[in-house]
Amino acid sequence: MDDLQQAVTAALRQVVDPETGREIVSMGLIYGVTVQGGRVSITMTTTTRGCPLSEMLRQGAQAAVLGVAGVTQASVALTWDPLWTPDRIEVRAF
Amino acid sequence: MIGKQIARWTMAWFASALCCLIASLGFAAVGLAGPGGWAAGTAMATVHLFALGWLCQMMIGALIQFTPVLCARPLKMPGLSLPALLLTGLGTAMLAAGFLSMDGWVLGQNLLGLAPAVVVAGFGLTAVMLVPTLLAGQGLRQAEVRMVALALIALAGLWGTGTAMALTLAGYNLLPVFIPDALPLHVLLGTGGFLTLAAFGVSYKLFAMFLLAPDRDGPLRKAVFGMAALVVVLVLGLAGSILARGPRLPLGLLVAVAGAVTAGLYLVEMLRLWRSRHRLQTEVNMRWSRAAMICLAMSAALMVPTFRWGAAWAEAAMFLALVGWLSTLTLAQMVKIVSFLTWIQVFAPQIGRRPVPLVSDLTDARFAGRCLGLWATGVAGGTFAIAVGHPLLFQVSAMILLVAVLGLTRELLAIRRLRHLDPARLPDHLPPLVLPVPLRSSSDDHALPA
Repeated sequence: MDDLQQAVTAALRQVVDPETGREIVSMGLIYGVTVQGGRVSITMTTTTRGCPLSEMLRQGAQAAVLGVAGVTQASVALTWDPLWTPDRIEVRAF
Repeated sequence: MIGKQIARWTMAWFASALCCLIASLGFAAVGLAGPGGWAAGTAMATVHLFALGWLCQMMIGALIQFTPVLCARPLKMPGLSLPALLLTGLGTAMLAAGFLSMDGWVLGQNLLGLAPAVVVAGFGLTAVMLVPTLLAGQGLRQAEVRMVALALIALAGLWGTGTAMALTLAGYNLLPVFIPDALPLHVLLGTGGFLTLAAFGVSYKLFAMFLLAPDRDGPLRKAVFGMAALVVVLVLGLAGSILARGPRLPLGLLVAVAGAVTAGLYLVEMLRLWRSRHRLQTEVNMRWSRAAMICLAMSAALMVPTFRWGAAWAEAAMFLALVGWLSTLTLAQMVKIVSFLTWIQVFAPQIGRRPVPLVSDLTDARFAGRCLGLWATGVAGGTFAIAVGHPLLFQVSAMILLVAVLGLTRELLAIRRLRHLDPARLPDHLPPLVLPVPLRSSSDDHALPA
């Protein structure tokens, strides 16, 4: 994992799900991070498809990544395929 | 767009419902309703302020808020929420006042006759929002959506039986009905039908979210729906037979057994959900939802024996269902929902940009827990008072319930005003207490109201 990818992941770990108090990486909400030059593409999900927090978590993740030095463009897409399950939560997150 | 799935009038629905709850408990506390006196006009007014004004308005407000979460699509025609609220509130007030005609207030007769038309206008507008949202796409494939749809069918039956009785009591000969035959079906369609089934449906999704537990539509959930559908069909069939002046079918025991089995299966699934949770430290709303579940179990367990033990135990079982199961669940979850919606209104624009408080930081969980504990004490006292026929003990219990609700109302106000947060973290402007945040256009999506 290169430095920028690590910095992006670290930035995503600053985005906390206000309901559980855990950040979105350890919650298993991040499905993929792709870095090409300064452009970052993220695929993420929410714990349920109709979650009222979906759009604000997406925008929060985007804002956090745009704050990383070296990132020139960040796109964050929501997907529910596959659906999130609690098994995706990192061990010792709770 | 942030907040597009947040219903604008939820706080107003909750506020209207809370006013009805406080009024009904106040009336019970001064002795206007209680064991041995349920047939009085003041008692009927009190019961309907509680069941229709408090529980039905809370459930409708919650369904308008959470149906988009269940279906993962926006609510159809959300602009109907305010007129639905106004009509339901007005209908409740007219019905409660109308029942006073039973105590000799002549003007109340017209109110009693007209109230069902106003109530059905409110229910109808609610259905116009909810039904197309539930049925769109492949919604009915989801267990929680099916359960809410079944609850709405029971709501139609609740209104139908209630209308027949109200018109009969008001002296209109449009749909004459023998009240002692129709009343148990009306109570079942409301308590076990609309309110309980809607609570089942919403809880499937919300409890899995709050507990971080697997949300599985397995055989047990299908069995709950199948039994619930059987009960609703049986009760609607009985109601139809009575309204059509057909024979009285001896199906009461079958309904009671099927209802108790339905509740039992649901509780088994909730127990499995609880045990499979990833969130080991549960919050106050879920801790006190367990007390509600215990009341549901006790109420279901009493359903069959009441056929032998008589009316007092049937009334105690119904009190346990309305006040213990449905109201404890509603009050506990209301603390959470108000915190959650307030958080979205205030802090959503800041997520990912700066540290934000957690939803749980908005609540004094210890105080809310104490109020819910007091409420549970009132439930136990009220149930016992009804079972042994002790009006004074029932009044004392109603006072305890009233104090608990006033405490929870204070906590809800504190949540809305962010009083539990460090003043340094407060925003410049707080959202309105009850009314929605005014709509305004903005180039910054994060500035849009929730």
